[in-house]
Amino acid sequence: MRNIFRPSEFRRPKDLHETSWILSSFEGRARVVAGGTELLVHKPLDVDCLVGLSKLDLDYIRNGRAGITIGAGTTLVKIEESEALSVEPYRILREATRLLATPTIRNTATIGGNICNASPAVDLPPALMVLDAKVIISGLEGTREIPIADFFEGVKKTVLSDDEFMVEVKIPAFPENTGASFQKLRHHQTSIDIAIVNAAARLSFAGDTVKEAKVAMGSVAATPIYSKKAEEILKGKILDVDIVKRAAEAASGEAKPIDDIRASAGYRKRMVTVLVERALEESARRCGK
Amino acid sequence: MLYINIKVNGKEYELGVKPYETLLETLRDKLGLTGTKLGCGDGECGACTVNLNGKAVLSCLTLVAQTDEKEILTIEGLQNGAELHPIQESFVENSAIQCGYCTPGLVMSAKALLEENGDPTDENVREKIANNLCRCTGYEQPVRAILEAAKKIRGENDR
Repeated sequence: MRNIFRPSEFRRPKDLHETSWILSSFEGRARVVAGGTELLVHKPLDVDCLVGLSKLDLDYIRNGRAGITIGAGTTLVKIEESEALSVEPYRILREATRLLATPTIRNTATIGGNICNASPAVDLPPALMVLDAKVIISGLEGTREIPIADFFEGVKKTVLSDDEFMVEVKIPAFPENTGASFQKLRHHQTSIDIAIVNAAARLSFAGDTVKEAKVAMGSVAATPIYSKKAEEILKGKILDVDIVKRAAEAASGEAKPIDDIRASAGYRKRMVTVLVERALEESARRCGK
Repeated sequence: MLYINIKVNGKEYELGVKPYETLLETLRDKLGLTGTKLGCGDGECGACTVNLNGKAVLSCLTLVAQTDEKEILTIEGLQNGAELHPIQESFVENSAIQCGYCTPGLVMSAKALLEENGDPTDENVREKIANNLCRCTGYEQPVRAILEAAKKIRGENDR
């Protein structure tokens, strides 16, 4: 085994099928590269072939009646500046992006890279989870669509098989009276500065009643997770301070963080309560509640 | 070997590159453009910042193979003969340089910012140089230099 990052090939396939064919022919030793800002920091030793996706035209944000689709190769700077993503509840994607790494990194890093690296402290997936996003995956057998929460299997592990790669993120349309929020706790705004804890929420109201609630959090388990208990507490209720507090505490109860260099597990659990509370309050405020 | 065509500081090159070669390595080792610096190699310090199609990027975290058919501007491409670019001039006038190692990166971040926004606020500038670490002067002088450079460039455009 080599002890240095030395892939022997760099391929630039022209279509989806060719991409999967190359990926499968290297049996797990090929790696898709988009911005490269994660790859070149980690310089993995087990990669023989790099596959650049620049010829696949995966750099787009489309706004349609059914919602918004974002190509996996879309740079983060395009997301933070997107007009289509400036409205409720999509704007949390812009907000989460602006809190991620630095402007210089965001000029090259992509949404697909942010998702596929499957870091437990990743920022965009919790925001995408409360927006009910699905990811489109392409492989030798064609494409498949899965909810983003099901994409992650563990730390740095995804459902992608050797021949598969992500092509698109799909976010549905939402009814009026929907508000969302993304919250992130961290030490400093530099490129190493990943979340100690992050949380996202979305509330859809019918009159004053919560019709649908979604709460997601990151950096508190091996993958970003939903808080199902918080959602149950909120659904069908007229919000008040007490219900928001109970939902936030339920989310904290479901968090299973670890102690590490950035924070202790106990601190993370307490901060989940704070961030979820803030996210719910802001979501409600954004629908005028 | 992989062949790419890139334009660097207005000059076109056809180059054979390695799959793992970074833009920084190509610029320094193949083209002799040593103004762009290797600092941390991890995307933290920003000493390697160049402009790729007008945007500030970290050349140490950019595979050169990914820059095929793109345009790159480095610190060497800023000045016009012996005449400094207004950003460089402002850095000198404001003593925004001490050891000088971070300077090319800071200047290239400033260049991309001013291309996009000719009238930035203090906060805009601080945000866009967030990926450029300076361990000598701090950031007051560079921020002042960039704001003054914006004024200079706007003045030139008025004429």
